[in-house]
Amino acid sequence: MIDARDLVKRYGALRALDGLTLSVERGELVGLVGPNGAGKSTLIKILATLVCPDAGAAAIEGFDVVGASGRVRALVGYMPDVPGLYQDMRVREFLEFFADAFRLRGVRRNVAVDGALARAGLADRADTFVEALSLGLKQRLFIAKTLLHAPRLLLLDEPATGLDPLARIELRRLLRALNGEGVTILISSHILADLEDICSRVTFIAAGRLAGESAAPAAAATPRSLTCEIELLGDPARALTLLRERTGVRVVESTGARVAVEVTGGPEAAAALLRDLVAAGCAVVRFDPRGGLEERYRRAFGGAALSPRP
Amino acid sequence: MNPMIRKELRQRMRERRAWLLPTLYLLVLGAVAIVFYMMVTARPGSLEIAVQGAALGQGIFLAVAYAQLSLLLLVAPVFSAGAVTIEKEQRTLAGLLTSLLSPADIWWGKLAAALLYQGLLLASGLPVLALTLAFGGVGPRELGIALASTGIVVAAVSAAGLYFSCFFRRSVHATSVTYAFIVALAVVPLVAYAVLGSLVVRVPREPTWLQYAMAPNPFYALSIGLFGGAERAGPWVGSLAFFSVLFAAAAAFAVRNIARGGEQA
Repeated sequence: MIDARDLVKRYGALRALDGLTLSVERGELVGLVGPNGAGKSTLIKILATLVCPDAGAAAIEGFDVVGASGRVRALVGYMPDVPGLYQDMRVREFLEFFADAFRLRGVRRNVAVDGALARAGLADRADTFVEALSLGLKQRLFIAKTLLHAPRLLLLDEPATGLDPLARIELRRLLRALNGEGVTILISSHILADLEDICSRVTFIAAGRLAGESAAPAAAATPRSLTCEIELLGDPARALTLLRERTGVRVVESTGARVAVEVTGGPEAAAALLRDLVAAGCAVVRFDPRGGLEERYRRAFGGAALSPRP
Repeated sequence: MNPMIRKELRQRMRERRAWLLPTLYLLVLGAVAIVFYMMVTARPGSLEIAVQGAALGQGIFLAVAYAQLSLLLLVAPVFSAGAVTIEKEQRTLAGLLTSLLSPADIWWGKLAAALLYQGLLLASGLPVLALTLAFGGVGPRELGIALASTGIVVAAVSAAGLYFSCFFRRSVHATSVTYAFIVALAVVPLVAYAVLGSLVVRVPREPTWLQYAMAPNPFYALSIGLFGGAERAGPWVGSLAFFSVLFAAAAAFAVRNIARGGEQA
C-alpha cells in the first residue's frame, strides 16, 4: 500500500527526512513514533501529496505521490495534527462541500454525507454551526469528513491531541473498526498506550530516519515483554537478588527503592513475579506493569520517554 | 458549479459586512453625487453651468465613477488578499489541497467569489451613475466604457491580491502588500509621466507614446476612454491591455503557488 524509499526533505539547513524508507502492507495499522521534529509529520505530508520530497520516491498503491497526486488523493484520507474546520458553516454544509470537492455526485453524495453524519453521531446536529460544537465533536466531524470518499488509506497525524479519555477510547474503537473493514492506517502519535492498543506494528523515526520497528502488543505473539516498575519498602537488596537470579527477568534500572525490570512472558509472568516477591518477604508497595512499547521507545530515544515517577 | 465558489459565497454572505458594505458604498456614492452637484451649482455663475446640463452631467459622472473606482480599489484587497491566507490561518488549506480540487479550481473559486461580490457593488452603484444620463453629456457608451474599465482594473487588482494571498502566510501581510501595490500603480506612472514629460519636447503637441507611461494608473484607465476622440482609443486599449496582462500573470503565479502551497498548509 505504501512504498517510500530514501525520502529526503530539507527545510533550509534542516533535514526533516534524511533517507527514510518505509513500507506498509495493505490492511496494516501502523504506528509512527518519535520525538518532536523526528520527521513524522513531514513523512505523512509527503504521503498525503502536500509536500514534495527533495529526493527519493513514495507511492501509494503504485501511484507516485508527486507524479500521480490526483490518483493518490482519491485513495487517501488525511487528518492533520490541527484539523482545520470552517467554523461559520453548518455541519451538513461542511460535509457537503467536501463531498463535492471529492467529486461525489447525486445519490452517492447524499449517502456519503448521511453516512458520515451517522458515523460521527452528528445526525441530530446537522444544522448546527461548526463553531458551536465541542472539541470532541469537531474531531469527530473532521474524521467523518476524512472518511467521506471511502479512502483505502488513512494518514492520521496526532489524531488524539486534545481529546478527553472517552473520546480517545472512541477514536481507538473507530480505527480498529475501520482497519477491520480493510482500511490501511498510518497513525502518528505521542500517546504510546493508544498505539500499543491498536497497532499491528510500530515504526520508530528519529532525525528523519527509520530508527527501528516493533510489533506492538496488540498483534505480537506471546511471549512478549513488559516493563514493570517496582517500588519497595526498606532495603531492596533481597528483591534485587531475586530479580537478578530469575529467568525471564532483566533489571533495567535500579534507583534506591525503585527498580525497573523487563519481564518476558506477558502479564502472567508479571503476576507470577509479584507473587514470588511477596512470598519471599519483599515489601512491595507498588508494582506497575507497562507495555513494552514505552520501554522500547526509551531505549530508542533515551530515558526521558519513561513517564515521571510519582 | 465549482464547489469553492458556492462555499465562498455562502461564507461571505453570512458575514455582517455582506449587507453593511453595499449600504456604505451606496451612501458614499450618493453623497459624492449630491456634494458635487451642490458645489457646482452653488458657485457664482452657477445658473450658467446648470443651464449647460451636459457639462454638469459629465462632471457628476466623472466624480461618481472616480469615487466608485476608489471604493472598489479600497475593498478589493479585503476580499482577495485574505482569501487564501485565511485558509492558512485557520489550518483549512490542507483539507482543500488533499481533496480532488485542482489548484486552478481553488484559485478560480476564490477569485470568482471576490469578483462576484465586487460585481454586486458595481451593479448596485449603476443607478447612481445612470442618474447623470438625465443631465445630458453622458450616454450609454460612456456608461459601458466606465463599467468595463472599472471591471477590468478591479479584476486585475483582485488577481494581484489573490497572488499575494497565496504567497504570504498572514492576511495582514498580504493585505498590506496589496494596498502598497495599488498605491504604486497609482503613483509610479504619474512620476514616470512627469519625469519623461520634462525630458521630451512637447511642441507642437505631446508625443503619443508619453501617454502610455500612464497606462498602469487605474484612474487613467477609467478616464482616458471617456469623452474623447478616436486619438484616445489607443492609450485606453493600451491601459486595459496592461491590466489584462497583470491579471493573467497574477493568475498563473497564484495557481503555481497554490500547487506548491502544501508546505504552508
